[in-house]
Amino acid sequence: MSGNRESTLNGVLVLAGVMTAWEIASRGEFVPPLLFPATSKVLGTFFALVSSGEIPAQILSSLRRAAAGYLMAATIFIPLGVVIGLFERVERALEVVVETLRPIPPPVVVPVSVLFFGLGDGMKIFVIFFSSAWPILLNTIDGVKNIDPVLARTARTFGLSRRQAIVKVVLPAASPEIMTGLRISLAITLILVVISEMVGSTDGIGYFILDAQRRLKVDRMYAGMLSLALLGYLLNQLFLFASGCFLSWHRGMTGR
Amino acid sequence: MKPRRLNVSGFAVFTAALFFWEILSRTRPELQSYFPPPSGVLRALAELSVLREILRHLIETLGRFLSGYLIAAALAVGAGVILGYSRTAYSFFAAPIELCRPMPSVAIIPVAILTLGIGNAMMIAVTVYAAAWPILVNTIDGVRHIDRTLIDTGRTFGLGRWKILRRIALPAAAPHIATGLRVSLPIALILVTTAEMVVGASGLGFYILDEERSLRTTNMYAGVAAVALAGYSLNRLFVAVESRAMAWHRGASGKGSRERE
Repeated sequence: MSGNRESTLNGVLVLAGVMTAWEIASRGEFVPPLLFPATSKVLGTFFALVSSGEIPAQILSSLRRAAAGYLMAATIFIPLGVVIGLFERVERALEVVVETLRPIPPPVVVPVSVLFFGLGDGMKIFVIFFSSAWPILLNTIDGVKNIDPVLARTARTFGLSRRQAIVKVVLPAASPEIMTGLRISLAITLILVVISEMVGSTDGIGYFILDAQRRLKVDRMYAGMLSLALLGYLLNQLFLFASGCFLSWHRGMTGR
Repeated sequence: MKPRRLNVSGFAVFTAALFFWEILSRTRPELQSYFPPPSGVLRALAELSVLREILRHLIETLGRFLSGYLIAAALAVGAGVILGYSRTAYSFFAAPIELCRPMPSVAIIPVAILTLGIGNAMMIAVTVYAAAWPILVNTIDGVRHIDRTLIDTGRTFGLGRWKILRRIALPAAAPHIATGLRVSLPIALILVTTAEMVVGASGLGFYILDEERSLRTTNMYAGVAAVALAGYSLNRLFVAVESRAMAWHRGASGKGSRERE
């Protein structure tokens, strides 16, 4: 969704307009400044909190949990998805269990996880693991099942062993779908870090934001949200960049 | 989609898992506060007092979900059609949209509590906020990618702007809009249950967290089962409505099934 220079200018104008209007409304007390602190104040707090290292520390502890749950989900559910996609029998055997667990809205897993792991990191990591599992699993299965049958037969003709065929043919051919699953899960992971930190935590950016709200430090709350938005944006860009590098051969080969 | 036969092995594995859980829980009572036997969860659901309470909370949750989801759909489809149709309008709003969208939507909950309190209005508002994004983005995409010939044809036949919008743009973008609506459905449910947990007043999100904190594990699992069932039914309902509403489209464009989300 990239626009030309003029449309970028328009967008910046709107942003600047909104920020100025907010600033004036807050300073002139057209809106309660307690609830809507001036833009300049929020930005000031944001930079102060970033340079004091407080926000980076909170983000780091959130990122650690996010990475643990997300990577665990990827290492378990990509291989599982490949197996399910390859063998219809396995798919049918696991289908009912998957379809039972999948519709559980991830937030309600938080209490279950608290029961098992207490309020520590384990609880959050499990919640993230559980909820980011489904997009990865389902997209991997789809990717593997939709492989061009010619590819599979070619691999067989060339006498590749099953293991070689999976590594050299199946995984690369399914990688765009796997990447889609990973990208959807990344967004979900970020949501669930914040939720689990809001419900039971003493650190992390989700806790930081809710805590600031409860103590009516509204400028800190907005500063936390701003950093979260930046984090979400950066992670997504990073992912797009990485998958772009990773999949460039694919686009070249298939012309997609 | 081919007609499905009963998945015998699937149900066998499912039953075996439940059975294993049941045995494990019965033979090791020290595990029961974590893993109450499934039969106990079923019995709790059969108990009138528990069932009544779960239903009460479920109705609260569903009410919030539906109001939030429907409001989001109305607003986001409306705004999306305008932003997709008019490049000027889009150029003004693209930057703000791209700025707000990457923030995980649950982070809006504290702001909503501050400005709207902890009542239904706040929970519905955060649901609207979160559910609106996928619908908005997909609608914009759908309207932007309409075949120009369709619109030119409309113009040739002397249709006005409004008629082109309603008779051509909306139907042509309908599959994209449907995708947005489908993606939003679980997101709306996530936001409702999270908001209920954070403010803790009523609804299944609150109920499940509260039962966990009071160590009534059996009731907690019963609540999880209820919300899972609700999520599943909502999704099935959506698919049924969608396939009926989109039947003409598959016929018209010859396109088959879509990818899974």
